Amino acid sequence: MGIIIAVISGKGGVGKTTTTANLGLGIALNDKKCVVVDFDIGQRNLDMILGLENRVVFDMVQVMDGEANLKQALIKSKMSPNLQFLAASQTKDKSVLNSDKIHKLVTDLSAEFDYVILDAPAGIESGYEHTIEFADRAIVVVNPEVSSIRDADRAIGILDSKSQKVKDGSEVMKYLIINRINPKMVQSGEMLASDDILDILNVPLIGKIPEDKGIIDASNQGKPIILDTNSAAGKAYARIAARLCGQEVPLENVEEPESGLMQKIKEMFV
Amino acid sequence: MLTKQYSVKVFEVTLEDENEFIAFFDKNYVMFTNHLISIYGEVSPKIETYLQEKNLKYIVNTQLPKNRASKSTPKEQVQEKKPVEKIQDNLKVIDKLVRSGQELKIQGDLLLLSRVNSGGSIVIDGNLIITQIVEGDIRCNGNFMMLQASPKANIVFHEVEVDNKYLQDKLNRVELINNEIRITPVLKETKWA
Repeated sequence: MGIIIAVISGKGGVGKTTTTANLGLGIALNDKKCVVVDFDIGQRNLDMILGLENRVVFDMVQVMDGEANLKQALIKSKMSPNLQFLAASQTKDKSVLNSDKIHKLVTDLSAEFDYVILDAPAGIESGYEHTIEFADRAIVVVNPEVSSIRDADRAIGILDSKSQKVKDGSEVMKYLIINRINPKMVQSGEMLASDDILDILNVPLIGKIPEDKGIIDASNQGKPIILDTNSAAGKAYARIAARLCGQEVPLENVEEPESGLMQKIKEMFV
Repeated sequence: MLTKQYSVKVFEVTLEDENEFIAFFDKNYVMFTNHLISIYGEVSPKIETYLQEKNLKYIVNTQLPKNRASKSTPKEQVQEKKPVEKIQDNLKVIDKLVRSGQELKIQGDLLLLSRVNSGGSIVIDGNLIITQIVEGDIRCNGNFMMLQASPKANIVFHEVEVDNKYLQDKLNRVELINNEIRITPVLKETKWA
């Protein structure tokens, strides 16, 4: 049985889908079979970020309704043979989801893959509740700003009260990713420091990702930034993927601004 | 001849610094309107007019018969008035974060060992002690609350909003005394039990 991981945030736009795409690919590059599932019914994005938008034939809802089987709907990634993708429906809305169908779907997926990563929709409504319902673990993505932290806190509260694991008396393991850290703003005190965020959310940290302009271009091109081994964000995602695969990778301090020669020359002209 | 015997509460004070004296009475004079204030030290005209303004009865450098008098500070008097049985009532101890969107409704007393996050709330009938920072909402109707300095919290005590600026110390005690809310700092070194 594979591990079912939900990627959640509460607030929209903090980088859930980007994180899902990069970690899915990162896990696949670590030689584990991985499937990423877009649970944002009605607003699918993950296909674009993975560069698979023109390959979608059947979606998750059609699989759940028996209109297509899983094999037909799963799309193989061009970037790694270990990674597959299941698209959200673009035409239906979240009201079509129900617990029994979702349970069957994620159970079938976890029988075939080592990691099943579910990209939750933003917000805390039924679509979100269905995503976390059968998750074994959750990755909480936040940005270092107060509204993201509060929304994540709320999402964690719902996870801790409504997931099946909690109802069965156990606990959903949670990991925190602090995304879009701007080293300069953290140092000048304009951004919340990681320690404060950890105090508030009380969830163990699995990685920090620096703000990286390359991410927008990577998304537009459909090539997750983890493939760019020179990018700071790509390297950060690779470290997190390795940690999820059970490797011991020390946390790196992404809050320190670059201090290379180019940086010094730039500063001379400021 | 007409005689009458009654006892008066005396508040004894040594006058050393005028400003300190006035500052103290400015803050607390309501409590002493029925007391006789016994002052040791020199009473300047400034103090004299001040005391008359506040309508406080006082005597200066008078030795009162004290052998049977019971010594008590104003704070202790206040505590006597509390219904003792309400101080501990069905105490609950919780060591779990109160997250955004969660509401704890508690009958009785609560000792909370975790923080209350922004958007979380606690509604409680009894007394409340929170050992970590509060950023959410508190509604308490007990005899007292003990809270940390919590600049972001929204605290309502007996339907009165408590201004965060009065909660400045590591631990603050908020209590209801004669329909007035009193906030006193509790030092960090205070022993709990």
